[in-house]
Amino acid sequence: MKSTWNKTWAGVLALTLVASLTACGGGSSSNKPTNTGTSGGSEAGANEKVKLKVYAQHFDDDTAKPFDYAVEELKKEMPNVEIELDPAVQDGFQKLKTYAATGNLPDIYYTDWNTLQTFSKSQNVQVLDDYDTTKEYKANLNPGVESRMVAPDGHVYAFPDTGVEFELLYYNKKIFQEAGISVPIKTIDELAEAAQKLKAKGYVPLSIFAKEKWITTAFYNAFLTREDGIGTGVFEKGDPKETPQSAVTAAEQVKKLQQAGLLDVNATNTNYDQASSMFYTGKSAMLINGQWEIYSAQEKMGDNVDFMYWPAKDEQTYENMKFQMNGSGGPQGYAVSSKSKNIDVAVKVAAFIAKKSAEYKFTVLGNPIVAPKIDKPVTATDIPAMMKRLTTDVLPNAKGYAVAVSKLSISTAIDDNTQNLLVDGFSVDDFVKNMNRALSK
Amino acid sequence: MRQYLGNKKAILFFLLPAMLIYTVIIIYPVLQTVYRSFYNWDGLSEATFNGLGNFRDLFTDPLLKTSLKNGGIFALVLVVFQIGLGTILALVCADVKVKGRKLLKTAYFIPVVLSVTVVCQLWIAIYDPTNGLINRLLQMLGIPYQQHWLTSPTKSIIAIAFVNAWQFMGYQFALLYAGVKSIPEQYMEAATIDGCSKWKAHWKVTLPLMKETYKFCFTIAITGGISAFTQMLIMTNGGPGTSNYTMTFMVYRYAFLESNYGYACAVAVVLVIISLIATVVINKVFDRNEAV
Repeated sequence: MKSTWNKTWAGVLALTLVASLTACGGGSSSNKPTNTGTSGGSEAGANEKVKLKVYAQHFDDDTAKPFDYAVEELKKEMPNVEIELDPAVQDGFQKLKTYAATGNLPDIYYTDWNTLQTFSKSQNVQVLDDYDTTKEYKANLNPGVESRMVAPDGHVYAFPDTGVEFELLYYNKKIFQEAGISVPIKTIDELAEAAQKLKAKGYVPLSIFAKEKWITTAFYNAFLTREDGIGTGVFEKGDPKETPQSAVTAAEQVKKLQQAGLLDVNATNTNYDQASSMFYTGKSAMLINGQWEIYSAQEKMGDNVDFMYWPAKDEQTYENMKFQMNGSGGPQGYAVSSKSKNIDVAVKVAAFIAKKSAEYKFTVLGNPIVAPKIDKPVTATDIPAMMKRLTTDVLPNAKGYAVAVSKLSISTAIDDNTQNLLVDGFSVDDFVKNMNRALSK
Repeated sequence: MRQYLGNKKAILFFLLPAMLIYTVIIIYPVLQTVYRSFYNWDGLSEATFNGLGNFRDLFTDPLLKTSLKNGGIFALVLVVFQIGLGTILALVCADVKVKGRKLLKTAYFIPVVLSVTVVCQLWIAIYDPTNGLINRLLQMLGIPYQQHWLTSPTKSIIAIAFVNAWQFMGYQFALLYAGVKSIPEQYMEAATIDGCSKWKAHWKVTLPLMKETYKFCFTIAITGGISAFTQMLIMTNGGPGTSNYTMTFMVYRYAFLESNYGYACAVAVVLVIISLIATVVINKVFDRNEAV
């Protein structure tokens, strides 16, 4: 009896394990769709009602209004298409990846280059190279933003709405005047000197929300782009096994500024709300953030705020490189799922939404950082002065943009080590050693 | 009863749902993790077999050393603070002569029921180097020991571990208090009649009799320390750099930031093995003491 009992239990346990391992053996090897070409799925007829699910950023006015405008315009252009919005969450696209893993990707989704790389390998994104819509979109891009649309592997995966965004160095005019600092600050030495003057007056010289690592990379990239226009792209150009000299120089500059007291002692534990609050309440004299901060800055500080170009090692380098933008335009935008039942329609709709979102940003918000050329006039009447300056002084003179790092292990190493540079006890040698290790992998 | 226990089919029938649930939520994920640890896999694409490659890479990964060191520090802080202080408080609260015992018991347990995020935000404010309570207090007392509590690559892990220790000390306290109360009072009375002071009686009688409780407390403190994650994520996001990483943070980074799920699974497997070893060692240590 005991033997029979044991056998029964052994059988149940074995079945359980077999079931588990069988499930382990399953995976994504099956179900490989063709994700290139100009058609796919069962396409709807010209007037047949098509419902498309769109996973798009829709969490504040800046993201919701352009999208809603695009959808309204779409109703006029393609009345047979119905859009079902799935609002994106700010989770590093984990929800989207879960959709992909479970075979539930929306027809159209907004995502970035990191996710597109994974989706490309797993054939979850439609390659858009051969579509007429793509050719038209590409031909109509603003100068210098091709990297937003054409991936480093030469393919097109998404239709971008925004152009290449970049980080600016904002400053408080009154505080600078009070501290006797003349602008623009052209060199690293001048910035270090300014930091000391500001500290002596009781101000935090520069507030940075360095709890988020991307901003520490942006801060570092600002100086690296003075040394080499492609910025952090130097870590991948030519597949180096050691940290390039330009990257070492930029690390030395960041360290010098940190030691000069440019940053708050709590910088690496400061979030955006805290950093921006310090700047807007006049506790800090400078703030680093993307050009999107212009609207808030102007609203809260009026004419008391402006931005300056990033300083360099000397004045000559500054003059040569000041229009080399501290922003890298990796591919991003509205992509189409290769599993969509209406791929051809989805491709057209994705391009349309991207273009119309850009149109709203350009015409209504007066934002010139858009990917496609917009042939409609700007209707906005209260465009911030800094935004006007971007349109008239900066973008027409922009020499180029930094290059995005594609390899995730290298980009996370840059994030980690640029944050480390902002604290005492971490040297440039440590930076080089850690980066060399990441590069040699 | 005998007839009931003799009905093996009935036992099997009633156990089957629990077994199935356990299989689905524990055994299956663990097996999947072990299986995937031998592959290069980004979570979506077809996995490619990599043998022991992920484990070889892991043992040369400098993050592992950082994570193990931090896990050790975290576990040590939890053991010292939660079990050490928890024991003293449990003995005090078990003493009928202490007034306000009920209030103290409730007070010690309050942090446990608070949200981890709330507690972390509270301590972020306390640790603020410029306006935080600790540095201000030290300044007021004229003690020149103001620190960058959460931005120091060396001290921040201790500061964060203390937050966890503070919050969940009440949980360990509740276990230890229940352990103390489960010991018959006659033992203490006998020790007192034999001339033992109160604390000596606790040392010689109470604590040795609480061995099973301690075994459990040590297990959850040490494995909890090794696998800590939440407080680091909220308070410092693992930084500066990677200075506050633990093995769970490594899993999070490789899986969700780098889409390197195969490698993340290898880290998880090693984490499980280390936790199992810690559990076995704790059991052996306590069992050996019993033999002596």
